[in-house]
Amino acid sequence: MSIAAPGQLNVNESPSWGSRSVDCFEKLEQIGEGTYGQVYMAKEIKTGEIVALKKIRMDNEREGFPITAIREIKILKKLHHENVIKLKEIVTSPGPEKDEQGRPDGNKYKGGIYMVFEYMDHDLTGLADRPGMRFTVPQIKCYMRQLLTGLHYCHVNQVLHRDIKGSNLLIDNEGNLKLADFGLARSFSNDHNANLTNRVITLWYRPPELLLGTTKYGPAVDMWSVGCIFAELLHGKPIFPGKDEPEQLNKIFELCGAPDEVNWPGVSKTPWYNQFKPTRPMKRRLREVFRHFDRHALELLERMLTLDPAQRITAKDALDAEYFWTDPLPCDPKSLPKYESSHEFQTKKKRQQQRQNEEMAKRQKMQHPQQHTRLPPIQQPGQHAQMRSGPNQNLHGSQPQVAAGPSHHYGKPRGPSGGPGRYPPSGNPGGGYNHPNRGGQGGGGYGSGPYPPQGRGAPYGSSGMPGGGPRGGGGSGYGVGAPTYPQQGGPYGGSGTGRGSNMMGGNRNQQYGWQQ
Amino acid sequence: MLTGGEYSNHSRQLQPETCQTELNLPRVLCVLSSTLEKLVARNEKLVHELSQEVDGSIRIGKSLNAFHGVRAPSISIPKYLERIYKYTNCSPSCFVVGYVYIDRLTHLHPDSLVISLNIHRLLVTSVMIASKMLDDEHYNNAVYARVGGVSNAELNKLELELLFLLDFGVMVSSRVFESYCLHLEKEMVVNGTGLIKVERALASPKAMLMDEHDHNHLNHEPEILVEDNNNSNQSSPLPQILDSELTFS
Repeated sequence: MSIAAPGQLNVNESPSWGSRSVDCFEKLEQIGEGTYGQVYMAKEIKTGEIVALKKIRMDNEREGFPITAIREIKILKKLHHENVIKLKEIVTSPGPEKDEQGRPDGNKYKGGIYMVFEYMDHDLTGLADRPGMRFTVPQIKCYMRQLLTGLHYCHVNQVLHRDIKGSNLLIDNEGNLKLADFGLARSFSNDHNANLTNRVITLWYRPPELLLGTTKYGPAVDMWSVGCIFAELLHGKPIFPGKDEPEQLNKIFELCGAPDEVNWPGVSKTPWYNQFKPTRPMKRRLREVFRHFDRHALELLERMLTLDPAQRITAKDALDAEYFWTDPLPCDPKSLPKYESSHEFQTKKKRQQQRQNEEMAKRQKMQHPQQHTRLPPIQQPGQHAQMRSGPNQNLHGSQPQVAAGPSHHYGKPRGPSGGPGRYPPSGNPGGGYNHPNRGGQGGGGYGSGPYPPQGRGAPYGSSGMPGGGPRGGGGSGYGVGAPTYPQQGGPYGGSGTGRGSNMMGGNRNQQYGWQQ
Repeated sequence: MLTGGEYSNHSRQLQPETCQTELNLPRVLCVLSSTLEKLVARNEKLVHELSQEVDGSIRIGKSLNAFHGVRAPSISIPKYLERIYKYTNCSPSCFVVGYVYIDRLTHLHPDSLVISLNIHRLLVTSVMIASKMLDDEHYNNAVYARVGGVSNAELNKLELELLFLLDFGVMVSSRVFESYCLHLEKEMVVNGTGLIKVERALASPKAMLMDEHDHNHLNHEPEILVEDNNNSNQSSPLPQILDSELTFS
């Protein structure tokens, strides 16, 4: 270890993060709210630049500085890419109060620590759920290419995102898409020898290897999530809306077929394979179910939703897929339409207003138009989706299974009218995945879930967090989203009652059952 | 705080062989202890010389002030590292990475010296952060505070201090990790201790590789288990892992 003599120059060029106070910014409005943190839209006083301020609150003394925040900061500090959210700096607020003993040298961070991000107007889920929103094919290609480019950059830099989902993909009004919320991300080494927690990635986007208990995994986990998003963009709704892990696996098997040693060598060695292997033969039905998709899109999706992670397409190869190089080509982000910027806090008001309108319309016996249906992309007539037939249909009828409360992104407030299904082109009224969790909150890129609460969080936001749910609490782009893993404890046991020591690992006791 | 006579009572001779007698301890603890003791001894000497030159006002940076105790803890560096390892069961690589942080600190704040007054707090804080970074499972700050002999509140403060002093540069690439391992091994050769290979398991944190045996090992330390388990059916009194000698001041 080298020792610098006193008085030696400090060669650190840039001003240290944390050297500036949050007072350098003027908070314009709160755009997200969570138990553990708030997100503000703010203006840097000196430059007038609009930024997003995410407050990191440290309520849990035993945990100290949230691990998710440390990880997010250290990873974002290293990543500089146009498709990765930019963490501009960290600012602190000393807070007015002195410490407990009233000592003058109290905690200078007591007032809070804020992460300063570039401001983004939307998130993908929020945008997709806008009333009347219909992405074009070049638009989807454009978003997908940016998503893959950003992810490829992360993977090249040996970072796994581990929470790819629509609400973590922020979009600005220039059409740029950026990966956000690196609170679950971590570095990996190429040999994949590390044992990592399998309790990552929001359930609906979680790959089969994690659901089967694998702890050695790599970038392929993110690619599964990308496949889910891709299919969702084309299909118009989430394709695997499982309510718990067993159901999640079942949904995957129903579409992608059951894994066996032929299509996925080694699968029978995964920790929970015997527990969850399908009891009946299940054929891969991806091509059949999505036969209306464009040929190249289907080809790419096939390779993303490959059960065996070793055979799953990489981000780099996906970028080379025919899909991105055949007509219609991905559009220039700048050519995309600009959408009115909106955030949860703002849209709450709007929704309230809308609800009143709907009520009024009802009273006037008028048929209020169904506004909140997410539409599949614009494509040639006759190409629209047939809803999947099969057992899933019953699971997600018009009857919401879980009342999660308002959750997301410009969704339709679960109002009085049942209305037609969300995907009218299918001619399948009321059927399909009319998922309850999509009702509610506006989105727009700013998260509002908490930094992960200690211990378990319920997958559908029943833990009392605003806007919980697998898609991230109320839009979580800036990473204050609801926790990803639904449960702690053994494989899907959900038995953990103790506190998790942190969101990455949970409580050792829960994991290993020391108490037993 | 930094007065002339104080540190000299606490400067210790290098005794790398002593820690080797402990079985089942990662070799990195031994190597690291010796390296840090050497560093502290060197810096103490520097402080001593400075204090004699300019009486009263020593030109030592204030960056590490938060880590300074009133007096140096009586527990030796090897024993302290051993204690952290034993009770937190963090990966051996956390000690290498903790060392990387301390080294980065001295580069980022060259006027600050690692001395016997601050080395313990620096160690427990840096190893804790390293464990948070590396181990998907690790103990929380409350446990590290008890193990380290500081209050939870103080450790939280030190954690933030260190993170900000490091400018949140807590990422350690495998290349950098490897180079620090080599550096530590070289130190031992220079010491005449002979070649000691440091555990290289950056990508495979021990906490993640714990097998049943490891659990059993930890089960023999019930106080720690109770501590990390806030379960309401646990009515046992709080553990007494906080030796009196470890209550720093």
